[in-house]
Amino acid sequence: MKWLRLIGLVAVPFALLLMAIGLFLFARQGGFAPYRLPQDSGRPIAHDAATLARGEYLARIGDCEACHTAPGGSAYAGGRRFATDYGSIYSSNLTADREHGIGAWSRDEFAHAMRHGVSRRGPLYPVFPYEHFATLSDADIDAIFAYLRSVPASAHVPPDNRLTFPASWRGALVLWRMLHYRPAAPAATMDDRGRYLVDGLGHCAMCHSAREASGALAVDGYLAGGRIPGSGWYAPPLDAKQLQHYSIDQLADYLRAGVADSGTAYGPMAEVVYRSLQYLNDEDALAMARYLKSVPAHPQHDSGFVLLPEPARPSVAGNGADIYRRACADCHGKDGEGEPGRYPRLRDAVATRVPDPIDAVRMILYGGFAPTTARNPLPYSMPPFVQRLSAADIAAVTNFVRENFGGQHSSLTATDIQAMHGIVLD
Amino acid sequence: MRARIIVSTLLLAATPFAHAEATPDVGERLTACATCHGQRGEGVQGAEYSPHLAGKPAGYLFEQLRGFREGRRVSTSMTWYVRFADDAFLHRIADYYAALPPRTRSADAGASQLTDERRSKAQALVERGDATRGVLACNACHGANLAGLEPGIPALLGLPIDYVIAQFGAWREGIRHGAPPDCMRDIAERIPAEDIRAVAAYLSQQSNIDGLRPAPAGSFVPPRTCGSLPHAQEAK
Repeated sequence: MKWLRLIGLVAVPFALLLMAIGLFLFARQGGFAPYRLPQDSGRPIAHDAATLARGEYLARIGDCEACHTAPGGSAYAGGRRFATDYGSIYSSNLTADREHGIGAWSRDEFAHAMRHGVSRRGPLYPVFPYEHFATLSDADIDAIFAYLRSVPASAHVPPDNRLTFPASWRGALVLWRMLHYRPAAPAATMDDRGRYLVDGLGHCAMCHSAREASGALAVDGYLAGGRIPGSGWYAPPLDAKQLQHYSIDQLADYLRAGVADSGTAYGPMAEVVYRSLQYLNDEDALAMARYLKSVPAHPQHDSGFVLLPEPARPSVAGNGADIYRRACADCHGKDGEGEPGRYPRLRDAVATRVPDPIDAVRMILYGGFAPTTARNPLPYSMPPFVQRLSAADIAAVTNFVRENFGGQHSSLTATDIQAMHGIVLD
Repeated sequence: MRARIIVSTLLLAATPFAHAEATPDVGERLTACATCHGQRGEGVQGAEYSPHLAGKPAGYLFEQLRGFREGRRVSTSMTWYVRFADDAFLHRIADYYAALPPRTRSADAGASQLTDERRSKAQALVERGDATRGVLACNACHGANLAGLEPGIPALLGLPIDYVIAQFGAWREGIRHGAPPDCMRDIAERIPAEDIRAVAAYLSQQSNIDGLRPAPAGSFVPPRTCGSLPHAQEAK
């Protein structure tokens, strides 16, 4: 009977402790409340022109359409694929279709999904930024819903998610939420318009914050910069130090134009500018810029970029200066000074100064166009060098540019460059 | 005399300014395109999957750019370049290349693949089609001289052989789409692989020595209604 006593002494308290931790974590993610869909309070959905126009503006700034529209598909009909470490997730149909869209939803149900990430389909995957939208005001959420209900209904059925276990099981989301989700107080940031837009609707932290392996945002990683999962791009830190070369006006202009003297929006940011930020009104653009420049400087954050092992890693740029003179200087200037309005400056530019070299390498490999915007309707382009320079040459010229113009120690090798090959569209 | 002085002063004052404002140079913005399509859209030696663009109908070029943006045509790099470009900019790009003088040389590769047997087979397809399979002659739509038709049918002269074969493959596999009715897809499905190779080799070796431009819109009526092309709609 000794072993029974042993179980009583060890296992029972252990099980109780586990249960207590579980209950504590469950309470911290909001208890049962998030899983209880609200009763329809019968509040009518506005359809006056002013509310719809406001809802459309807010939906744009929230960039809802970009994620909820498949390439070439009808607006808001869903089906865009999101590649995650756990498989593919497809966005949902937000049009007014009663069966496949949100045409049968009440205002309360929509607000609940925006705030708690739970809809009639169950807990939603955190690719939907409900953690950020939780801070939106009632009026803003209602206006967005009113606008979405005015979007032409589409009966499009997005493909089923293709996820690996356990992510494929929606119940796993409850566990994920217990570990990572802490509901925010609604409208906690209303007093600062810039912060409200950056943290809430703009959900800038989705890309610009450091992430843990679970995909959750790191506690101390707020706007500290990091690799964007699945995209092969690095989102730079957003803070007073990183943005020191922008005045508030220049930053507000960059958000809408997609180009500035010390940085151009490429990759995922080009899309955000193209579909969302270019529509910011003056007041909101300035408020966002003002807030971003007030974020305290982060210590240089580890981007998660790990140099591959290489026995003889050169410490200098080798023939990088030569290659720069031949291939880059014509446009970017012999001292990286660029040519305002045409060719970006490289000296002190964002991609040359950030800790992670991948954006600079991707630009050299594949080039690209800045997005077209009302402020920059005929953008310039960067040519690709993947056919013209060897991986070793691209490593050398990146090292040269980052060391000379960005003050970053850089010792990339051909192997590092090869690991960054490949255009990632989605 | 005085009027003339005033006029010339005005002209002197106005010209450089008006020029800079009204016609920004689109070409200098397209350095990314030049890598594979040539500085003046004439094509690049060795870029066997990248066609020349110069002198093709603007409507055709615009439709292709939009197709890459929206997924009707699949090329990772082309989509990468145009995905955040609006229609207005795509029109400027299309107009820019359409206005350049067409490439006059034949393709750089493909001569060795053009055997006598392929040449006669291709000539028959280009001029008469293949009635038993329901395949129209190429020149029925692309023009008797294969120089194309404004605003939507491209010239076929001197295209890289690998590019043409890849396009037939893409139509057959359903990864290149025109607006329905998708005539080229229909033809690609009816024509055997060896005929595709023969036609591609033949077209690659045609040179446009006279620098022919696409025939003006309406100068002939293609026999079939295809896609969203306005001339085809008129022919209905």
